Order: sequence, then structure tokens, then C-alpha cells
Amino acid sequence: MATSIELTHTTATAALAPRLTAVKGVLRFTRKKPLGAAGAFIILAMLVVAASAELLAPYDAYTADYAAQFARPSAEHWFGTDEFGRDLMSRIMYGARIALFVGFSASFLGCTLGGLLGVMSAYLGGKVDLLLERVMDMLLAFPQLILALAIASILGPAVQNVVIAIAIPIIPRAARVVRATALSVKENVYIEAVNALGAARARIVLRHIVPNVAAPYIILLTAQLGGAILAEAALSYLGLGAAEPTPSWGLMLSGSALSYAEKAPWIPVFPGIAISLGVFGFNLFGDSLRDALDPKLRNKG
Amino acid sequence: MMARSRRPVRVLFVLLALLAWGALWMPADAPAAETPRRGGVLLATIGADPPSLDPHQESTFANIQLVAPLYSTLLQMDPLDSSKIIGDAASEWKTSPDGLTVTVKIRPGIKYHDGSTMTSADVKASYDKIVFPPEGTRSSRKAHYAAVAGIEAPDPSTVVFKLKHPSAAFVANLASPWNVIFPKKYLDKDPNYFKTNVVGSGPFKFKNYVRGSTFEGERNPDYFVKGRPYLDGYKFYISPETSVRAAALRSGRAHIEFRGLPQSEVDAIRKQLGDKVTVQEAPTPGWWAVGFNNKVKPFDDVRVRKALTLAIDRHTMGKVLFPLTGLKNVGGLVRPGTQWAMSPAELEQLPGFGRDIEKSRAEAKKLLAEAGFPNGLKFTLVNRNVKLPYQDFAVFFIQEWKKIGVEVDNRPLETASWFDAGRQTKNYDTIVDPHVDFMDEPDLTLADFLSNNPVQNWMNYSDPQLDDLYARQARALDPAERKKLVNAFERRVFEQAYFAHGLWWVRSIVHASKVKNWVAAPSHYSNQKLQDVWLSED
Amino acid sequence: MRTYILKRLLLIVPTLLGVAAIVFLIMRVIPGDVALMILGGDDGGQINQQQVDALRSQLGLDQPLIVQFGTWLWGVVRFDFGDSLWTGQPIAHELAIRLPLSLQLALMATFVSVLIAIPLGTLAAVRQDTWVDYVVRVVSIGGLAIPSFWIGILCILFLVIYFGWGPPLEFTPPWVDPWVNLQMMVWPVVTVGYRYAAVTTRMTRSTVLEVLREDYIRTAWAKGLRERVVVMRHALKNSMLPVITLIGTEFAFLIGGLVVTETVFTLNGIGRFVVEAVAHRDYPVVQALVFLIAFSFVIVNLLVDLTYAWFDPRIRYR
Repeated sequence: MATSIELTHTTATAALAPRLTAVKGVLRFTRKKPLGAAGAFIILAMLVVAASAELLAPYDAYTADYAAQFARPSAEHWFGTDEFGRDLMSRIMYGARIALFVGFSASFLGCTLGGLLGVMSAYLGGKVDLLLERVMDMLLAFPQLILALAIASILGPAVQNVVIAIAIPIIPRAARVVRATALSVKENVYIEAVNALGAARARIVLRHIVPNVAAPYIILLTAQLGGAILAEAALSYLGLGAAEPTPSWGLMLSGSALSYAEKAPWIPVFPGIAISLGVFGFNLFGDSLRDALDPKLRNKG
Repeated sequence: MMARSRRPVRVLFVLLALLAWGALWMPADAPAAETPRRGGVLLATIGADPPSLDPHQESTFANIQLVAPLYSTLLQMDPLDSSKIIGDAASEWKTSPDGLTVTVKIRPGIKYHDGSTMTSADVKASYDKIVFPPEGTRSSRKAHYAAVAGIEAPDPSTVVFKLKHPSAAFVANLASPWNVIFPKKYLDKDPNYFKTNVVGSGPFKFKNYVRGSTFEGERNPDYFVKGRPYLDGYKFYISPETSVRAAALRSGRAHIEFRGLPQSEVDAIRKQLGDKVTVQEAPTPGWWAVGFNNKVKPFDDVRVRKALTLAIDRHTMGKVLFPLTGLKNVGGLVRPGTQWAMSPAELEQLPGFGRDIEKSRAEAKKLLAEAGFPNGLKFTLVNRNVKLPYQDFAVFFIQEWKKIGVEVDNRPLETASWFDAGRQTKNYDTIVDPHVDFMDEPDLTLADFLSNNPVQNWMNYSDPQLDDLYARQARALDPAERKKLVNAFERRVFEQAYFAHGLWWVRSIVHASKVKNWVAAPSHYSNQKLQDVWLSED
Repeated sequence: MRTYILKRLLLIVPTLLGVAAIVFLIMRVIPGDVALMILGGDDGGQINQQQVDALRSQLGLDQPLIVQFGTWLWGVVRFDFGDSLWTGQPIAHELAIRLPLSLQLALMATFVSVLIAIPLGTLAAVRQDTWVDYVVRVVSIGGLAIPSFWIGILCILFLVIYFGWGPPLEFTPPWVDPWVNLQMMVWPVVTVGYRYAAVTTRMTRSTVLEVLREDYIRTAWAKGLRERVVVMRHALKNSMLPVITLIGTEFAFLIGGLVVTETVFTLNGIGRFVVEAVAHRDYPVVQALVFLIAFSFVIVNLLVDLTYAWFDPRIRYR
């Protein structure tokens, strides 16, 4: 037990070390974890495409062009066009923006809320802990997709509501992991010493506990990113994701996309590849990051 | 390439022509002489389960397609020509000159599947259940029989319907596929008996039902039409996923999907299976439109509504959307081409139906400016989260509105939430509002525009003038006069622009060519009795 | 140990009660109601407000929420989940039709995934940072990245388009005709199993890796034991507990997570049932299913924790 706590502590401080070591760290990471580097590269490419979709995309992603329906991939339309004559490549590029938005904001929201609750639960202990734990148990036992389905249909179809629907099921998972780490930090002799010295509660939490749960938090965050993008696709498939004509990858795969598989296979194939590749990138990166940051935490989350 | 191949093609044509000419001299064993074959089980796929098996209480095709073959109705639409009404359990029927009494004679010797004989008492009990539903049951089409004062059964083979006022639609309603005739003795025990049980007199007997999976019927050897049915039975596979239903047809695991498949699937199936499949196109009594919330600003202003309907290029829309969604024909409130519909020339005079779209758009912009929106406006379109045809339809509308400077946000809701917005809370600016009937009958079609029923009329307005026109057309027994009133009703709706009309639906039904003698009726609720259908050898 | 078990059992009660309350409330907050769905579900009828109100009161939806909740909860206590509002049939009966299929799918997917995951995961761990490891990881991470409905439908379409073969449309229990059963189940099992195998492979790999670093393994190596013996007898045996845990919890998740798969493959299982029930606003069915899924989840978790406590006495006293 004791060794694992020290490990968490040292890796967390290492992560906060000066910039020069960070560059070296990146290089080392690439050498030691080529798969993780590949994942990072995919994420970076997605970020670039998303940030500069206006510059890169050859067409507008929203406007239908009924003169160019079902155009096959060609020099004008690299990925072909969809049933409304919209350029698929442009839609996928704009879609990267939505995928990243959903992925990052859902996992950030879920992990942060869950993390805060986890720290609170661990540090305050007693009745608060018991109560929060029960609430987390309930959320955890609630079938994930059904919870998302219900939330999405209460809030209505919009990308930001999808984010909420995906974030809520993440909360209990994050809370569990963070609570476990925070608990072990709290039991550390060192915290007890600080406590005995009469440091303020808030100070203890902020200065000592939070930095220590940073590593599992970051690991969790990256682990949830891919899942969130995939969840958006599943919600869209069930008709609860983004609304037409939003260029969301999930939406592009849902509805009749698959019935065009023969007439225009590019319509279901390219968005599917985009989702798979994006999620793949996030998972590769997250996996390697987990290996690198903390070998003990691999089994959790 | 083209030029080179042209000659062989022409040679081929000549050869084919010669062959055809030669064929004329051969003894004919052509399709005309095809004799129906007994036997075989018709395999169909369907997209949903019904809440219950009682057609009086349900309004979904998922009910009627499953159970229609098990029952008889008084009259029916001719299975081979649905514009004609013929008898089923009734052998003759007569309306009195004053239009207040309809007398129906029942065929003798119709046997229920439990062995008992159908009498006028059964007919009276069934129609009483429809027209005056007892406590604890519902009747989905009670409103269609508002004219009925009472039902009498003077002798075992005669039923008399007494009407409060003449009703032009009454006889057609006796051919409604929903009005199946239940045996009275079960209804007496429990008016909801037929929600979970089946005792009918139709060409097939109930065999088995596994909810969510299959529904089966088997041949009724004692069916009152001699020699029918041809099939040994039928079986429905229930599958909510459209591409799976299409795949089932392609792999030969099913013969038919009665409601119709998306055009892209139909094309793909035809491409793969060639003449092993047949495609029937059925112009359906149903349309998709956008309703305005007429009580909410700015839609309370007729200029705004008119501008919004003027902006839609319906003639182009039909060409664009048909291959995607099956929405095709431009028409008024009654199905174009039927006896009550106005001519295309008359229709084109109405706002939004003109051929010159640039002119219409200019007028729309002018109207918007007059109404105080020179820079356009913004609102939401509440929609159903079903891809076909709802999303594709909305994409077209939104794009058209953009051209006159109107920004619209599509909000697809789950079916239940969408119903709630349209029928109950009226919590929307504009809403995609479809309408599908089981037959071409102005009473049914126009009822959605009456003021007194907000559950049925989603558009949130009241217009006594329309209510009056409706009542008059319903009582008009002279077809010419009725047509005039129906058209006046349509004009009023379009001049007031209570909604922006969309397109009429044309279903594409693809089935194995071995399915014979089934002619797609306009609606997917009708002609599902299957008594004349047969399967040829493979 | 006994007090620990008792304590854990007692804690289940508030969890399940909470789940019951959440699902009950959520279903009432969602706009739309079952009466409107039944009456106006399609356009073949003509309805009015009186009919809607009459049906609502017939279904008991006009009673105060607290009464409805109480009635339902009292039923649950007696293992009576009531009738479906949509069909009027007892929910137990509706479940009995659908449960075998979902259970078979979940069991087969678990079996397939364990069969793939444990050898592959172990192999990847033993050959860490070689190409074998990379291939296994790429394949397993891929399993988590591909939307299962997408790959599922594409698989079926591929078979239909190129071979004119489609899966059967009707569920045949394996004891009636195993061959027909297999034809229907193979694709869903492959898509679900792949995803599941991916999770398990990753887990196996990391736990085996961890065990391989332990002192006693190093001792075993040092003693000059053959690789196979070290891996099989020592490493694998000692890393199985977390893997079994994962298999257990994933199985519980799976039952609730078959929604999309069953919809895609037209399997008449409980996943599709729950989606349809939500769509119909069939409140008691959704409540019953969510409750049962939560119940099985809680029980599996409890069993897992008890196993841990059995092996590691320190946990009991926490």
C-alpha cells in the first residue's frame, strides 16, 4: 500500500516539473510508447482540422446542393457527397469540431464533477461520505445508455444537451477512482502531520490532496474522451443526438446512411472511419499515458 | 465508346422485335393465363408491434396489417381496384332517398372460426362498440360516425343504420378496414376481449403471436368465399430496423414489406434481384407539411404565414425528395387526381403553389417586410426524430426559408415528445405535421382543420368558417356540390396559410415477383385481407 | 466476515430504492405520455381530449405521483411488476419472452471474449513492447473504437449484397435447433464479443504485467523455471482475480448495454424492449427493467467485493 502512495505522489510532482523536462518527456514518451505517440498524432491532426475547418474545408458543411446528390468521390469531392449533395469531406472536417467539443466537454464535466465529489467524499468522510457513496452507487447501477437516453429526451436535441447526457454517467466512475486515491493520500502520515500542525482544511485539500489526485484525474479524463465520442454516435443512432443539418459524425451515420451503403457506400463509410479513428487515437493515447503516469492505476477507471 | 456500341444494340433490337413477332404465332402460355396456385406461406416483414390486437381500438398499421386477414368487414375496397367498394360480409346495401337510413343485408352462412354463424346481432354489437364505445374501451374512429343515431337488427340477416342527418361518407366508412365484425357473445363477456384474443370470420385463422417477433395466421378451410384463400398461411416478422427489413427481402427470408421501403433500398433490391422482385408505386392518401402555431407571434400575422408558405418551391421539392423519401406529388388537402381534388391550374392560383418561384420569393420578402421583418426572422421547427421522411423534409424547408432570409433551427424530438408538443402543450413555433388516411374521403382528410379539436388539429387556431364548410360538405349527397364545398374549404385554408403544405406521399412497395394478385392500395391500412393473394412456384 | 456481509447487504437497500425513485421521476419528467402514444400512435384514427383523459384515468395516470410510486414499490416488494401500459400484459410475461435471448447473447459474448482475451492479453504482457504486444493492443483498442451498430449493419449488408444471405428473422432457442440459432446469434455475438474481448484483453495484459514484476516471479525466473511454467503456473493464476472481477462487472453492464446491438440485429431481447418502452412511455416496463438491471449490477458487485474480502481480510475492517 505504502509504495503505491509514494509512487502517486512522485509522478504527480514530476508532471508539474519545469518545461525543459516536459520536452524531453515528450521525446521519451514517443520513443518508449510509439502507440501513444501515434494516438497523440491523431488527436493533434483532429485538433488542427477542427480549428481551421473554415480554411481547410472545400465546401460549406450545411448547404444542400441538390444538383450534386450522391456524387462519388472525385477531384471535386474527395469523399463524395451525401444525399443532399453536401460535401462529405467538409462535413467530416466540421464534424471533428463537434466530436472534440462533445468528447472534451463531456469528459471534463463528468470527471471534474466526479473528481470534486470524490475528494469531498474522501476528505469529509463520515455521513457525507456514506451519503455521496450511495448516490454514486445509484448512478452507477443505473443503466448508462438508458440514463443518457432519458436525459437527452428531457433536454431535447442539441449538442450541449448531448454533452450533459454523456457527462452524468461519467460522474460516479470518476468519483470512485478519485475517492480511492484521495483516501489513501489522506491516510498518509504526511497529511496527518500537516493536519496536526494546524493547517486550514481548504489549504490541505488544495495544496496536498488535489495535486495527488491530479494523475488519476488526467488518466480518467483521457480514458473517457473516446468513450464520449462513441456515446454521441450511439445516441445519434437512437435519434437523440445532434439535429440536422449539424455535421455531427454520429448523425451522419444514423438514419438512412446505412441504407445508402450500396448506392453510395462513401456515405456510411467515411463518417464511420472518422469516428473509429478519432476514438482509436484517444484510446491509444490514454492507454499509453496511463502506463506512463502510474502503473498501479491501470486496473481502475 | 458510345458510337461503337450503337450498332450491335440496334441489331439486338431488330432481333428482339423478330422474336416478339414470332412469339405472337406461338401457343399462348403467357401471364394472362396464369392460374392461381394453392399453398405456400406468405412471409412479410413489418416495422412495429401494435399495442393490442383489437382494430376498433387501435390506429396503427401495425395492428391492421397483422389482423386484417383474420376478420370480415361489412363492405370492403375491391382488392384489385381500391377505388371501388364491394361487399364482404354484406351482400347488398341501400341508402334511403332522404339519406337517413342505410340498410345492409348480410350473407348467409358466414362461419366464425369458433364454428358459430355470423348474424346481424354480431354486426350491431360490433358497430355499437365503435359508435357508442362502452366504459373502459376506446374507439379510435368514433368521430367518423357522428351522424349515426342508432343501429338496429330487425332480423338475423338485416342491419339498419339510422342517421341524424345525411352523411356522404357513411357508406365508404362501412368499408373501413378497421371495422371488423366480432362475435357478440365474447363482447358481452368482455368488451376488451379482442385486445388479446382473435375470433374472426376472415380467410385466415389466428395461429401464433410472439410479441416483438412474429405473428402467424393459417388458412381457414371454412371461409365463406369458395376456393379462397389460396395461401396456406401468412407470417409477419417484426423488425423495427428498416435496413434489416430490406435485407430480409434481399436474402429471400421475406416476400414483402407492405408499408413500403425507402427509395434507396427499393433501388438496391431491384438492382440485385432484377425481375425476381416487383415494385408497385402507390400514391397514398397522406402528406407531410409544416404547421404554424397560429396563436403565437409572429405566426398570428397572416402575412408572415403566407410569406413562409410562398417561399417553398414545391414543384422542385417533389423532384428532389421523391428519390430520398417517397414524398412526391404537389396537391391540395385532398389527394391530387381523385374525384374531390381541384385541378392543377386552380391549385396554382393559391399562395405557394405557383410555378414561378422567383416571383413567389419576391412576394414573400415583401410580405415579411410589411409585417415588420425586413431582415427576415428566426424560429424553431419542431420535428420527429425519424430520419425518413422527417429529417430530409425539414432540411429542404430550412434551405428554402434561408433563401428569403429566414433562419430556422431544426428540433427533432422523440415521437412521444413530438406528439405532446403537437397535440397537447402546443409548445412550438412551427412543427412538422403529417397526415395519413386509410382512404380518400374528405370527412377524414379535412377533420384535421376543425377548430373544436386541438388534439387532432395541431395548428392552434379557430376558424368558424371552416367548421361550417366542413359540416355542409359532410351532408352534401350530391358529388358535384360536395366537391365545390370541399374546394372552398381548401381555398380558405390556403388563403389563411394556417400551415405550409408539403408533399403527398407515394409509397414504393417491393415484393418477390412470386407474390401474385396483390395490388397495393393507396393506403397501407387497406387491402390487407390477403384472400386473393397467391404464391407462384419458385 | 458475517458483519461485513450483513453491512453490505443493508447498503443495497438504499441504492435500489434510490434507483427506483430516480427512474420513476425521470419517466414522469420526460414529455409525452403513453395515452397519447396509444391513441395517436399512428394516423389511422381521429381522437379528442376526452378520449385522452379517459384513457389516462383508466391507466391510473391521473392519481397523485406519490400514490403511483407507492403502489409500484409495494408491487416490487412482492415481486410483482404490474402490467405494461402499452399492451396491458403482465410485465413478467413480456420479460419471459425476451430474457432468454438476451441472456444467451450475453453469455455467448462473454464466453467468446474470455476465450480470446486471456491468451492474447497474457501473450501481450509476456512480450511487452514487441510487435506482438503492439498488434494485440491495436486490435483490442480498435474493438473499443468502432461503433458496434455501424460495423454490425455493414457486416450484414456485406453478406446480403455479395452472398444473398441474411440472418434468420426469428429467434429459435438453441435446444430447438442449434444451427438456426447460431445463424442468428453469430453476428451479434461477434460484434458484442469483440468489444468485450477488447476490454478484457487490456485488463489481462496489465494485470499480468504487474504480477510479472512481483518478487516471487523474479525468483521463479531466477530459479531457471521454463517460461511456460512461470507464466501459466504463477503469473496467470495470480492475475486472474481482477480479470474475473472485470468479467463479472462487464457482464452486468452488458445486460443493460445490449440496447443498440439488439436494435440493429432485430433481436427481440430486453435491450430493444427497454428502448421501445421508453419510446412508448410505458412507465412500469421501463421502471421494472431499470430496476432489474440495477439489481443484477448490485448483486454482481456485491459478489465481487465479497470475493475480494475473502482473499484480503484487510478490506473487511475498513
